[in-house]
Amino acid sequence: MARMLRSVLRNALSKPATRPFPEAPRAEFEKARGLITFDCTDCRFCGACALKCPTGAIRVVREERRIYFEPFKCIVCGACLEACRFGSVRMGPERRKPVYEKPVEVYAKPETEAEPKPPDPGA
Amino acid sequence: MSDATNVPFGPQHPVLPEPIQLRISLEDENVLQALPALGYVHRGIEKAGELNDFQQNVFLVERVCGICSSIHALAYCLAVESAMGLEVPKRADYLRVVWMELHRIHSHLLYLGLLAEAFGFESMFMEFWRIRERVMDLLEMTAGNRVIISVCTIGGVRRDIDAEQARTIREELPKVREEVQRLVDALLGDYTVKRRTAGKGVISGQAALDLGAVGPTLRGSGVAQDMRMAGYAAYSELQFQPVTFPDGDTYSRTAVRAYEVFQSMDLVLAALENLPEGELAAKFKGRPDGAALARVEAPRGELIYMVVGNGTKNLERMRVRVPTYANIPALLSVLPGCEFADVPVVTLSIDPCISCTER
Repeated sequence: MARMLRSVLRNALSKPATRPFPEAPRAEFEKARGLITFDCTDCRFCGACALKCPTGAIRVVREERRIYFEPFKCIVCGACLEACRFGSVRMGPERRKPVYEKPVEVYAKPETEAEPKPPDPGA
Repeated sequence: MSDATNVPFGPQHPVLPEPIQLRISLEDENVLQALPALGYVHRGIEKAGELNDFQQNVFLVERVCGICSSIHALAYCLAVESAMGLEVPKRADYLRVVWMELHRIHSHLLYLGLLAEAFGFESMFMEFWRIRERVMDLLEMTAGNRVIISVCTIGGVRRDIDAEQARTIREELPKVREEVQRLVDALLGDYTVKRRTAGKGVISGQAALDLGAVGPTLRGSGVAQDMRMAGYAAYSELQFQPVTFPDGDTYSRTAVRAYEVFQSMDLVLAALENLPEGELAAKFKGRPDGAALARVEAPRGELIYMVVGNGTKNLERMRVRVPTYANIPALLSVLPGCEFADVPVVTLSIDPCISCTER
């Protein structure tokens, strides 16, 4: 009886084990595998990330200098992150929000300055 | 047999998280025979393993099972490493032990919760799963995800556990242990639970061996067989003995899993204590050539991966033998003679993982 009373009192006075979810979302862990984005500033469009991606979520088109990324094919394994030698793939701890349509994200080099043209061999 | 009533048990049933059908013949309330029907969740993963790059297969095989995912990845990596003759760094071996044992803890806690739910002990189910969340949090903190932790890679591991994280695990596990101890005492000491589990679905040690049962199903019949004793990863350097219970009934199989939770906690702490410094993964060149086999202890029993490489980036063959596949004959042999009301609990006592079985 005394044990039961202790249990009852503890349960009555303690905080609930659950959270009111949409109002109080769970804090993300610092190293959680979450949102993948690309930063094309240093990207050479070599395609190593696309080659390593086990689900084919990344498509690199060198001629267009663009990366096409399908986030809903992505399984957030982080293989692209390890494959990239230029630090162009970023991974944050936050999770992707649910959406109605599955987008294809397009990443391109930011247009900061005119790119130097390759020297003309005929000149 | 002509008077028998045939009842389909599954593929949808409240105690079955995954689809398997048992066609049960009943005479009054007693089971005469049970025949399994499988094939509801076949995904062709073995074939997909031949079409993918052998390095990308690590992510594929993790998706064979939704509970013991990283242990599949470990078994695959061990098989490929042995085909390639790769030496894994010591630190990676110890880190593998830490993550695999954390996985075993959350898998066994899941089982204990499901068993409690199978005989209607809902509050116990919620208590077990509440504690399981804390173990999942440890996995997410260290590996970045809750279940599909993707830590194993060919040649080692992909992530490290730093001093801060190791300290958190060392602080958290004793608290988890205390709570699990309280619940396990309540579960295994309870009169009603004993009435529902003790003496139900009895299989002798010899019969279990003859039918090829593995893991807690076999250890619950008093046979001390645990693939971790074979000493893969860093298990050869850590001291432990397989947990066995002699009776071979549902209660024994549950008790084996309950005490393995504590054993796994000890192993995690011992591995963290002896964590050597060094590389995380060995660098390698080349591709697997020739056949290799790896046998590891998954939470449900012995898991076997065989890979056959032919020197290209694709494997010639990948074969997966999962523990539930080996335990189904033992389950079918114990069901005749049971009462129909005990079928859900006895079925659950082998901790069936149908997604594994059908791959």
